Amino acid sequence: MNFFSRQKNESASAQPRSKHDDTWIKSSCALCYGTCSTLVHRVDGVVVKIEGNPDSVIGKGKLCGKGVSGIMTHYDPYRLKKPLRRTNPNKGIGIDPGWKEISWDEALDEVAAQLRRVRAEDPRKLIVQRTTTVTAARVPIRAFATGFGTPHYSAAGGGIHCGNGAHLISGIMHASWSVVPDFALCNYAIYFGASKGHGAGHVSCSNMGLAADARARGMKMVVVDPMCNFAAAKASEWVPLRVGTDAALALAMCNVIVNELGTYDVPYLKAKTNGPYLIGPDKLYVRDPDTQKPLVWDVRRGEARPFDAVPADDMALDGEFSAGGVTCHPAFHLLKDHFRKFTPASAEAITTVPAADIRRIAAEFAHEARIGSTIVIDGVTVPYRPVAAIAFRGSQGHKNSVYNFLAIDLLNQLVGAADVAGSCLGFNPASNGFPETGRLAYVPKPGPDGIMVSGTWMGHHYPYPIKEPRHPKQLGLQDLFSMCQSSPFIASSDQEQFWQQFDLPYRPEMLVNLGANALMSIGTKETVAKALARLKFIVSIDLFLTETSDFADIVLPDCDYLQSYDSRSSYPFIFGHPAGMGEWCWSMRQPVLEPEGEQRRFADILLDLADRAGFGPDMNAAFNASLNLPPAYRLESDKRYSWPEICDVELKSNFGPEHGLEWFKEHGVMKWPKKPEEVYWRAFTTARVPIYWEFLPATYAKIAAIAEPRGLKIPREYYEPLADFNPCLSHQCKKDGFEFYAFYYRDSIHTNSYTMENPWLDEAARLDPYSYTITVNRTAGERQGLTHGDAIRVETETGRFVEGRLCLSEAIHPEGLGIAALAGHWRDGMPIANGKGVFFNELLELDWDHFSPVNLNLDLCAKVKVTKIGAVS
Amino acid sequence: MRLGMVIDLKRCIACYGCQLSCKAEHGTPPGVFFARVIKREEGHYPTVSQLFLPVLCNHCTDAPCVDVCPTEASHYCEGGIVDIDADKCVGCRACMMACPYNNRYFNGERQNYFPDAGPTVYEIARSERHQEGVVMKCNFCKDRLAEGKQPSCVANCATNARTFGDLDDPNSNVSRLIKERGGFTLHPEAGTSPNVYYLAP
Repeated sequence: MNFFSRQKNESASAQPRSKHDDTWIKSSCALCYGTCSTLVHRVDGVVVKIEGNPDSVIGKGKLCGKGVSGIMTHYDPYRLKKPLRRTNPNKGIGIDPGWKEISWDEALDEVAAQLRRVRAEDPRKLIVQRTTTVTAARVPIRAFATGFGTPHYSAAGGGIHCGNGAHLISGIMHASWSVVPDFALCNYAIYFGASKGHGAGHVSCSNMGLAADARARGMKMVVVDPMCNFAAAKASEWVPLRVGTDAALALAMCNVIVNELGTYDVPYLKAKTNGPYLIGPDKLYVRDPDTQKPLVWDVRRGEARPFDAVPADDMALDGEFSAGGVTCHPAFHLLKDHFRKFTPASAEAITTVPAADIRRIAAEFAHEARIGSTIVIDGVTVPYRPVAAIAFRGSQGHKNSVYNFLAIDLLNQLVGAADVAGSCLGFNPASNGFPETGRLAYVPKPGPDGIMVSGTWMGHHYPYPIKEPRHPKQLGLQDLFSMCQSSPFIASSDQEQFWQQFDLPYRPEMLVNLGANALMSIGTKETVAKALARLKFIVSIDLFLTETSDFADIVLPDCDYLQSYDSRSSYPFIFGHPAGMGEWCWSMRQPVLEPEGEQRRFADILLDLADRAGFGPDMNAAFNASLNLPPAYRLESDKRYSWPEICDVELKSNFGPEHGLEWFKEHGVMKWPKKPEEVYWRAFTTARVPIYWEFLPATYAKIAAIAEPRGLKIPREYYEPLADFNPCLSHQCKKDGFEFYAFYYRDSIHTNSYTMENPWLDEAARLDPYSYTITVNRTAGERQGLTHGDAIRVETETGRFVEGRLCLSEAIHPEGLGIAALAGHWRDGMPIANGKGVFFNELLELDWDHFSPVNLNLDLCAKVKVTKIGAVS
Repeated sequence: MRLGMVIDLKRCIACYGCQLSCKAEHGTPPGVFFARVIKREEGHYPTVSQLFLPVLCNHCTDAPCVDVCPTEASHYCEGGIVDIDADKCVGCRACMMACPYNNRYFNGERQNYFPDAGPTVYEIARSERHQEGVVMKCNFCKDRLAEGKQPSCVANCATNARTFGDLDDPNSNVSRLIKERGGFTLHPEAGTSPNVYYLAP
């Protein structure tokens, strides 16, 4: 479209542009982990605009409010430009470190000396930690940790941001990091505490477009959430519920579908789940004595046989049988019985969602699933189940994390709406790889007991089979609680007690921190501060001085995303690539601007440190493994590489020698078409997923055998094979005056605690009714004598409190109290952010009682009392 | 040719992408938004809905701001775009009083986004060209149109909520959407004949 073609020259001259530098550079955003592809406009050395790259699938040519605002983060005058060393040995909240500028050589030599010392003593004394905002950090910092020899890798402290539940269950049930509706074909989606497609998170911008198209097409969207904002605001129906009770609601819906309507996908349950596996009185599979394979009941032969010897159609899902003298039932039979206790009436009492609504929504979901139907996609016939129940941070962020997410996914499993056309999709669980080289291919496969093992994963250990629990030797106890990925024990108030309980033979001494503001990102600050202050040496690679760098001994000035390389900004595809049909798209990041002052790129800092501390060869070996480099491309052991060289090697190894870093710098993305067999892979696999988590009781027994002799009681009710509702501690608070469930939610205008310093985003958030306020239901608030705009204090049972401005709203559950994002900075290293919004995490205790006893997910809700401390200003 | 915009409220999710891509495009000073998003709750719990309303200059066919401008700084350009000639504007702000939509801003003293640190190089490049003591507002990204591009807020909308085109052309996407979906304007009672239309949520 060119409305003013006649005036083009005249207009162009109105904005004179230098002949020397007027360039659009293809790169990737990093204002959140969505990493949308960008076109960055640089004129005379100044970035004047950042737009989406329309040639890319990642973001589809668009950026969210955060993405277009990256300019102001980059040009923030408070960015660090020189290495700093503290002069004040005392560390604590509010204590000035007394920063003194030092040279890079001094700084790196001092850090390297500490690394050498710790590595020689016991490499496990080192923790490496990174922010979750910058996905580019994952590969280099993991290689650094692995090369060093420490298992202690932490994503922002494993606290409130951690998706331990979402990723674990998405991994086990969908072979992916997260789930999303197949937006192009789904007709009925139920969201539980998720905002996919409404402004935040994985594949943010692409999903925004896909979700809008789906809503415009007529996809009904039912959103279960205590607050009507983001996805709920765009829902066909908002279902407010009591905070943290998602499992009770989902299980009641399952009950309606199975026991009231009888509308479930029998062929799917027989062929794609462990529903037919026979379960004995010990809650475990009844196994074939010879092969040890789980048995199913063969209805044609009238006998129990190994699951892989019986056609799926001939497997019993219901009934009581006897196998080898043991009375047993198919897992689905037990599940069906188990559902009966979740009557809509009982669920109403727990969730406050009216029983009639539970029945209606469950019936609509089951009806819309069109069980039995197929569709032809690009000439390939696949099952068609245009419904999806999806969940994310909100619903899984509770003590009942695992069951909350699993219960929701059971809705998909019951009607066969898993990774087929129109259904709940994992993000790209299967790929045939890049056609020209055959690299990047992965597919979920049947593993032990025929249960699905994901084709690829973000960490070293895949979610299934469950890692064998061991006597803990890790600080985070993930070797004992082997279903946990990122552990909050890294900073909990009871960490020392646990380490003593398990005779941990060492203590952490050193932290290499990359951009994470742990003091804000995990839980209440006093607890985290104590954990940080106990460490002997902290080096923090940062863009700004944060609340956490106050505890550092050395601070190193990082480059930001406009100054850095990343060879794989949309990879792994299970993390950051749009699901559904379309194209595969590999994107990358390249610098648009040079470092300012003495800033250096974090990846090169880590390589330099490894070199100086004498583990460069080990870090190279770790890169070879984590980038899966084939022999011809492997890094040489004793050669010193720069990060761009490693990026080049990775790209060439995947896309051929002609498609290295230079090719990508020019072209930005590599694309190739997706096939229906990749996207709708479930129809083409013999792998089964567990609707009955038989491995949980066994895992419990192993953990309890280690923990209970040491005095740690493991609550059994979290380890039963059938998903259940276990209340949060907040649900058990009966103290007078504590009327509200405070909960945290992600704001689409902010990422973690990082973007509050961006003055454009800060300005938008100040104008938003909710971003920086404390939201309470209007009627409930007025009943307590509160007025919109009041200054209020929100206090927990343990006396922790935050203060802020009250927003009285019709759009929140009467018992809910919503606080957005990770705001409330209190230090002057980020002066724009300082004092803005409310620091929700202050309300969260960091101890075993508040963790999921299965995956150590920190509960995100707290029962609170609200008091007015000032009038409307 | 009558240039106009259609904003589909069913699609808009209030991500602020328009508000901020506009800010990035024009380098507008603090407090100035040629495009912005308003959030408003409607109804009572639990039958409540959220109205996400993106607003900008309506480029009215009968623009009261043009009528009231004593210096002809506010004027119609080709395609019906209402623009302000900063050289002619004396900053009397009569147009701001006349505009029923509150989408005009007065650029008083120079401001920076990092008040204690002076302007960033971006602000020197993009913000300092805006004259002080004058009124400013959206001009449908006239410079982008001249380059054959869509207005920034349209090009960047991740939900494709915004469509831009010629309202005089009955076959244009904007005309078709208004006809098919029953497009409406804000404050029709003001009699300004706005050229920004909305589609119901």
